[in-house]
Amino acid sequence: MIAGGLALAPAGAFVLAALALFVIDAFSPGKTSGGVLAGVSAFGAVGALAASGVFLLSGAASGGIELFGGQLVVDGMSLLFTFIFGSVTALVAVASFDYVREMPHRAEYYMLILLAATGMSLMASANSLAVAFVSLELASLPSYALVAYLKGNRGSVEGGLKYFLIGALSSAILVYGISLVYASTGSLLLSDVADAAGEAAATYPGVFGTGVLMIIGGLAFKTASVPFHFWAPDAYEGAPAPVSAFLSSASKAAGFVLAFRILLVGFPIQSVVGAIDWVLVFQILAVLTMTIGNFAAATQERVKRMLAYSSIGHAGYVLIGLAALTGVGGASAGATVLGASMLHLLVYGFMNTGAFLFVALVEHWEIGRTFEDYNGLARQAPLACVAMTVFMFSLAGLPVGGGFVSKYYLFAGAVGAGVWWLALVGAINSALSLYYYSRVVKAMWIEEPIEGRTIAHYPTALYAAVLTAAVVTVFLLPGLVVFDGAAFDAAAALL
Amino acid sequence: MSNPWIAVGALALVGLAIPLSMIAISSLLRPSVPEQGKRAVYESGEVPTGDTRIRFNIQYYMVALLFVVFDVETVLIFPWALIYSDAVAEFGLGPVLGPMLVFLAILVIGLGWAWRTGAVRWVKSERAEIKTQL
Amino acid sequence: MSVIYELTPAIVLLPLASFALALFFGAWLPRRGAVVGSLATAGTLGLSLATLAWLLLTGEPHNQTWYTLVDADATFDLTFGILIDQLSAAMLVIVSLIAFLVHVFSLGYMNDEGEPGLPRYYAGLGLFTASMLAFVIADNLLMAFIFFELVGLCSYLLIGHWFTEDAPPSAAKKAFLVTRFGDYFFLVGVVGVLVTFGTAGFAGSEGFPVLAEEAIAAGETFFGFGAETWFSVLGLLVLGGALGKSAQFPFHTWLPDAMEGPTPVSALIHAATMVAAGVYLVARMYGFYALLPTVLAIIAFVGGFTALFAATMAVVKDEIKQVLAYSTISQYGYMMLALGAGSYVAAFFHLTTHAVFKALLFLGAGSVIIAMHHDEDMWKMGGLKDEMPVTYVTFLFGSLALAGIFPFSGFWSKDEVLFETLIHALGGSPLLFGAYAMALAAVFLTGFYTIRMVLLTFHGEPRSDTAEDPHGVRWNVKFPLSVLGVLAVIAGGINLVPVEKLSGGSLHVAFLEGYLERDVGLLTHGEHYSELLHDHAGYTSAYVGSEVTTLLLGAGLSLGLALLGAGSAYGLYRGAVPTRHTEKLGGLRTLLMHNYYQDEYQVWLAEGFTVRLSSAADTFDQGVIDGAVNATSSVSLSAGSRLRRIQTGIVTNYAALILLSLLALLVVFAILGGWL
Repeated sequence: MIAGGLALAPAGAFVLAALALFVIDAFSPGKTSGGVLAGVSAFGAVGALAASGVFLLSGAASGGIELFGGQLVVDGMSLLFTFIFGSVTALVAVASFDYVREMPHRAEYYMLILLAATGMSLMASANSLAVAFVSLELASLPSYALVAYLKGNRGSVEGGLKYFLIGALSSAILVYGISLVYASTGSLLLSDVADAAGEAAATYPGVFGTGVLMIIGGLAFKTASVPFHFWAPDAYEGAPAPVSAFLSSASKAAGFVLAFRILLVGFPIQSVVGAIDWVLVFQILAVLTMTIGNFAAATQERVKRMLAYSSIGHAGYVLIGLAALTGVGGASAGATVLGASMLHLLVYGFMNTGAFLFVALVEHWEIGRTFEDYNGLARQAPLACVAMTVFMFSLAGLPVGGGFVSKYYLFAGAVGAGVWWLALVGAINSALSLYYYSRVVKAMWIEEPIEGRTIAHYPTALYAAVLTAAVVTVFLLPGLVVFDGAAFDAAAALL
Repeated sequence: MSNPWIAVGALALVGLAIPLSMIAISSLLRPSVPEQGKRAVYESGEVPTGDTRIRFNIQYYMVALLFVVFDVETVLIFPWALIYSDAVAEFGLGPVLGPMLVFLAILVIGLGWAWRTGAVRWVKSERAEIKTQL
Repeated sequence: MSVIYELTPAIVLLPLASFALALFFGAWLPRRGAVVGSLATAGTLGLSLATLAWLLLTGEPHNQTWYTLVDADATFDLTFGILIDQLSAAMLVIVSLIAFLVHVFSLGYMNDEGEPGLPRYYAGLGLFTASMLAFVIADNLLMAFIFFELVGLCSYLLIGHWFTEDAPPSAAKKAFLVTRFGDYFFLVGVVGVLVTFGTAGFAGSEGFPVLAEEAIAAGETFFGFGAETWFSVLGLLVLGGALGKSAQFPFHTWLPDAMEGPTPVSALIHAATMVAAGVYLVARMYGFYALLPTVLAIIAFVGGFTALFAATMAVVKDEIKQVLAYSTISQYGYMMLALGAGSYVAAFFHLTTHAVFKALLFLGAGSVIIAMHHDEDMWKMGGLKDEMPVTYVTFLFGSLALAGIFPFSGFWSKDEVLFETLIHALGGSPLLFGAYAMALAAVFLTGFYTIRMVLLTFHGEPRSDTAEDPHGVRWNVKFPLSVLGVLAVIAGGINLVPVEKLSGGSLHVAFLEGYLERDVGLLTHGEHYSELLHDHAGYTSAYVGSEVTTLLLGAGLSLGLALLGAGSAYGLYRGAVPTRHTEKLGGLRTLLMHNYYQDEYQVWLAEGFTVRLSSAADTFDQGVIDGAVNATSSVSLSAGSRLRRIQTGIVTNYAALILLSLLALLVVFAILGGWL
């Protein structure tokens, strides 16, 4: 057991790093060296990563530590997700060193990333609807600004604005849902909501059910689940690639952790099923998200947009974790499939971040965005292309990376929970996804290189981030066992 | 006959009827004297110039944001200051003073950074400078 | 564990080593691998004899898992192991003896004739021997299956040794495919046994035959079937493999074609390895079959029918090896009949004597073929007895044994088979009378075609130039012939049951019976099988008059028929220039020469039916399946591009769509949740 304050060390690392950047940048605004900024950010992210990893694997917070009168809770799930945020943030911070080297407002860029990461780690710990909303906003507001970071780029600004407008709408929906739930249960604290949920569902099914559905809608925005996904392709495509990596990996995971917490702790399905069968909601969302994400990804011409849609498809796979909580197969089946969702997000944090960072590398070289522009890239950048191949195949679920294991857990868990048809839809979509992922691989390795393309220099930090992500992705194929105990325990603790 | 919706409906009807009847009656009673000045948006004697969609200087927003920071700070400090003595007596100095100092420190860091980056420096636009020179 | 059992793996590894040596270094080895192969099989023979002697003296068997292939906690392990009991110990001796003699003979048949590809040939022989030996000592059905398949593969390689000619590769393919067809059922049976019992071990109280016995006793059900019904299904599946390998009707068609291989290989295939494997498999798991009266009846009938069926075809053949090929099918029919009729000992006895005299006959035929410069047509031979006396005498002994003439080995074993069938038929299993009648008829035909073959080959005047001046053969041909010739005469002495019975039990000369029935604690002895047969299959013995009367009657009947057949052949084909009497058979001859159109219908099955079915499947695959796949992908892509159009890029549309979706969800769940 760890002392109360110490349990917030992972989130604290993000906050301290962000404040440190404020202080450092205040000395000579706009002129701080990129190395210092990236270094401090990466240091803070690695600190969060290390603290959460140690707490998680040592089982120090296994029982769950409640802080501030139960407003925050630090448990296995929050630590696992903080670990994900830490790793993604560290990769993005390192990779951004090269990406934003020449750009203005570098310090603000790193501050916003760290503040968003802070918000995400608080989302992972949020144990009341108020904290959930505030931390979600803390994560969202820097994200809007980050998407629009390339002020002179039309796509970036447009994506940022769309993200902001849809985000504002979704926040409104979320907070309206929260108010309805508060109206019917009389509390914002999740444990109290859970206690009152049964009665509220029986007495005011309409108010309560509408509230829950609107909260789900607000969270689905954050996870980019269909039909609340419209912002995602535009924002991911327009944003600087490291920011896309950050949003599609970490921000999505944050949305999911909040959804897991709110729905499982606040609205236990046994009590609320009379008013709103949210498992069914998630089944609908999961099928829609998987199918639409993958189908739309298959027809894209630009790699980054394809990755944006594929990231929507992956949100669909993760939604299976909630959609399979049918109670069939008992608590252990539920814990398996939910834990599998968490593991998939963990693996996804590396392989998807890596894929977007590879796109960042390509943007850095300014060699174009379409599949054709990638033709024969392997002749000029073989190492990075090997890494990208690993990401693509691991995303598709081939056994070259951890994506295979986590997807296998997910589908097996879904079958174990009696929703074999969800696993079937997932498997079909995975098969489809292989088509568009392998297009990238084919372009890089098989197609003839484009004439006259030269790559002047190979950015060290970006390369380091991409290769680290690739190595970890491969390592997670056998190494996922390190985490699966923690994930399944965390899932079991929620159910 | 005790359905409460009847009363609600009646209220709605009355609510609609009153303004409509006022407009109708006044149009019957008053003399009609059309005049240019009456068509202006604001009948304040000033002639409006330009349209309503003008851009305010971004610096107003910066100030407004800083104001919000201090506004929230004040809102939080007020109740805290009121119960401060009692709270110290009950919980001791550290747990009561510490969090507020952390809170203020965060705000101070933010303010300091904003100050250094020029958020409170009023920059005159080129057009404004040309006007003052004239 | 005694030291002899620690050496048991060497029985398999020695020929395997010779395989590896011949394969990789054959070109540099003395005699292109023949010497190494002969030495290895000689060592194997020595070890096998020692193992047999040890088992005889101490009665200590060996049943141990040797290597675990798959270690599964939840289900069942897949293992390799060694089982040495009476059956496998005796079989080891037979296999290694024949393999040794075949290696020696090959020196004369292959090396002296300057055949190409010798290292490949000896590598094949080595692997063939090793696989068969491993199959013999297998302690479970899965291991047996694996080596059963290896045996099939080696037969393919060896039959197709002269692959540059037209016929051998085609014969090799046929042998491979026909046996594979049976093995397909075998494989399903293996999986079935593993799933049903969780083990595929043959012996001991943990073996699946014992578990099956207990399951039947307990009245368990499997997959909705009664235990006996389900086991019968499993038994029939495994039997598919056995029938394919042992060339029983209707899988016998590959065997005559397999004569395209080198003659020593034919000897090995027919006498001791491939064809014997099927019968051995049934004998190996006899504790299982003994529980299943239906399957036993099928085995008996298939065996009896094959015995007669093949014998009729042998009558009209003109080539010496063809006659022998059909005789092999016929003789294995007897063994199957014996197993089906509940006489385990008689089956193994006939397997033993047949191994000896059939190896002898093939090697003798090989010797004749060497002499005739590889011309196999009997009508071009004649008068060879004066030119090659050793071959003639030994071949004659082998033929008399095959024909079942007293006192040669074949008489004793065949008589035992027929006698046991008769007394079980009398004892309340009247169905066996049918099989018995077919087997008796086959005795007559066997006598006929055997003597016809001898007369045409060795007697009369030479009918061609080569027959007048045959090629001489050396010691390496004569030595194996002599060994086997002696054995063909005396091998019957290992189980003189009729003598023991005639003496009223005072002379203990039924050695094999005593050996096989001895209880060594593995529940694979004959005594145990007799009990099972009695309890489950209802096989009891009854006699015409007394036991001795029945014995004499049966023996007299079969000997009389054999002599009658031999005599009619002698009557028809003696003299200096025999005539072709087969013409007189008319349409029947055509039918027999065409092997009852078995090949034709199987070819039709393959070409007319299977190929058409395949091309229909191909059309289906190309048209419907691929069409569906292509349609799926084009539908996916077009659906994808439709979906892209939802993404208009206009943020107000997004907001509208989000709100409309939320509204739709609200309406759906309001109705489902009953809020309204």
